[in-house]
Amino acid sequence: MITADILTGAIRSGTSVMLASQGELLSERAGVINLGTEGSVLAGALGAFATTVWTGSPWLGALAGGVCGLLLSAIHAFLVISRGANQLATGLTIMFLGIGATSFLGRDFVSEQIVGFNPVAIPVLSDIPFLGDILFNHDPLTYLSVLLVPCLWYVLFRTRIGVILRSAGEREEVLFASGINPKLVRYLAVLAGGFLAGVGGAQLSLAFTHSWVENMAQGRGVVAVALVIFASWLPSRAMLGAYLFGAAQALQLTVQQQGLGISPFFLFMVPYVLTLVALLIVERRKHSNTPEALSRVLAGEGGG
Amino acid sequence: MKQPTFVPVGVSGGIGPFRSNWKPLFKQLLVWLSPFVVFGVFLLFYHVNPLRLYGSMVQSTFGDLYGLGEVLLKATPFILTGLAAALPAKAGLVNVGGEGQLAIGALFATGSAVFLLERFPAWLGIPIMLLAGALGGALWGMLIAALKVKGRLNETITSVLLNYVAGYTVAFFVHGILKDPESFNWPYSPEIAWTLRLPIFDGTRLHVGFIIAIVLAIVVWYVLAKTRLGFRIRVLGSNRHAAERAGMNVNRTYFWVLVAAGALAGIAGMIEISGIEGRLRPTTGVNYGYFGFLAAMLAWNHPLKLLGTSFLLGMISVAGNTLEIGSGLPASSATILMGLVLLFILGGRRRAKR
Repeated sequence: MITADILTGAIRSGTSVMLASQGELLSERAGVINLGTEGSVLAGALGAFATTVWTGSPWLGALAGGVCGLLLSAIHAFLVISRGANQLATGLTIMFLGIGATSFLGRDFVSEQIVGFNPVAIPVLSDIPFLGDILFNHDPLTYLSVLLVPCLWYVLFRTRIGVILRSAGEREEVLFASGINPKLVRYLAVLAGGFLAGVGGAQLSLAFTHSWVENMAQGRGVVAVALVIFASWLPSRAMLGAYLFGAAQALQLTVQQQGLGISPFFLFMVPYVLTLVALLIVERRKHSNTPEALSRVLAGEGGG
Repeated sequence: MKQPTFVPVGVSGGIGPFRSNWKPLFKQLLVWLSPFVVFGVFLLFYHVNPLRLYGSMVQSTFGDLYGLGEVLLKATPFILTGLAAALPAKAGLVNVGGEGQLAIGALFATGSAVFLLERFPAWLGIPIMLLAGALGGALWGMLIAALKVKGRLNETITSVLLNYVAGYTVAFFVHGILKDPESFNWPYSPEIAWTLRLPIFDGTRLHVGFIIAIVLAIVVWYVLAKTRLGFRIRVLGSNRHAAERAGMNVNRTYFWVLVAAGALAGIAGMIEISGIEGRLRPTTGVNYGYFGFLAAMLAWNHPLKLLGTSFLLGMISVAGNTLEIGSGLPASSATILMGLVLLFILGGRRRAKR
């Protein structure tokens, strides 16, 4: 019973991180690291929540959440791509601005209540013992996010668009030579990333908590950025990492309910420590798929 | 930071002596004014007169001694956490760990004050408490440094992740063994002995910690600008490969720079406890690490310019309180203004050269 709870919770609370990390993966594959993802997740969570309160439709909410995340990432894209600003510093500022702006604009929504997205059991499949409940009883955004992963993989590695996007992150000279503007490609990748992070935020507020709380992302956006590195820029591994983070979150809730006498604050730390450990393990195995433009940023050269 | 900087002795990007200074000056002015204009428009939507707000900001800062003291009081931790960002930045590192290092520094300082220094005289107790704070911050910085040097993990990401861990560590202690037994259910530590409180200037709430921060800023500036060690750090920051080829031990420099940065932020934590709060709460110094990072960015990571930008951020923070009391806007609106200021500065800079 407890294992089932934790595994279900892993998916439920991991989805927001997963969406954000898929978005971040797109933008990093194009050579832009966006720590502002944290801000985009928050903007998405608030935008989605507010829209759902006003219109009553969670679908419109999710869309609005995505747009809010996109708008915030547009600032990052402009400063980094057009103005050549330091990527890490700009990202942090966006994160900061996102926290400030959402807690300011969101204060009227703290006490609001919404229906939002509720779990939809898939007929037949959800009747499978044990697995049915874990895998096939989730909110619609979660199902969509799972479908997104293979699509993203296909686009990135099997289509012309994917080649263009990846060459923007590896060798922009190649794109120049074939008459494509690498800046435009990066813009689109960062905006798409912001949109996905915003939808991740929407899942957080509309399906996971059904409420808006100041600074509710609690570092999920930052974790998403870290997970992309852990995943060595592969969508499927980023998904795995996100569910691992979700499992740590779910474990914490379950252990708290069981009252095993472990301090909740230790349990709160677990997801972050786990992310760090995962990063360490991966870094030990040498990998060569770091996008070239990105490795310059991570090595402390700022890049642009 | 790759951008050319205005270091007194410039290794990177020297500024030619004969260049006309008018155009850059105008541009600088525009960059500094724009965020205030944008924020002003934002305020208009909430029926707040921006000119009156900015006026009262200046008024409450320079109007009387108490107001000035409040701004300097707010600026003090920003100077120290700003140094914690600026020093590594000179070595080419983006350290955002000031937030967590301040928290752990405050934790160590409070722990030592409550369990060890209760009966110590001030002249002995306060320095020990300061060292405890520095030690706490340094240990947290060492964690980031070890992950960087041994694990080859990017320090920006690890330091942000560790900030969350630090926050929960403080919460663990103030809910646990460091909890005030007389506090009923409120999570905070017992009050530290009055002998361990920093002396306060008459007529204000400003304490000696402000002097400590300024002295440390000057020390960091001196080390960076005038010593061989500082030269090495700046060489490493402007061209890592050159530093490697010159036979420098890059990893060792990274390691100790990050540890020193942690110690500086840890001292900020101690000053918060000993100078202002008197006890540790889960909210002690929250966001100060990020504000310090912003202050350092605004100052182009120059330790002395940092004094000025910290003062500015202090003004904006105090203005946030004015906003809350005067016009019912939450204090978080001040963070929006800060974010805007920084975005314009980041975007207004000359393009980083490849």
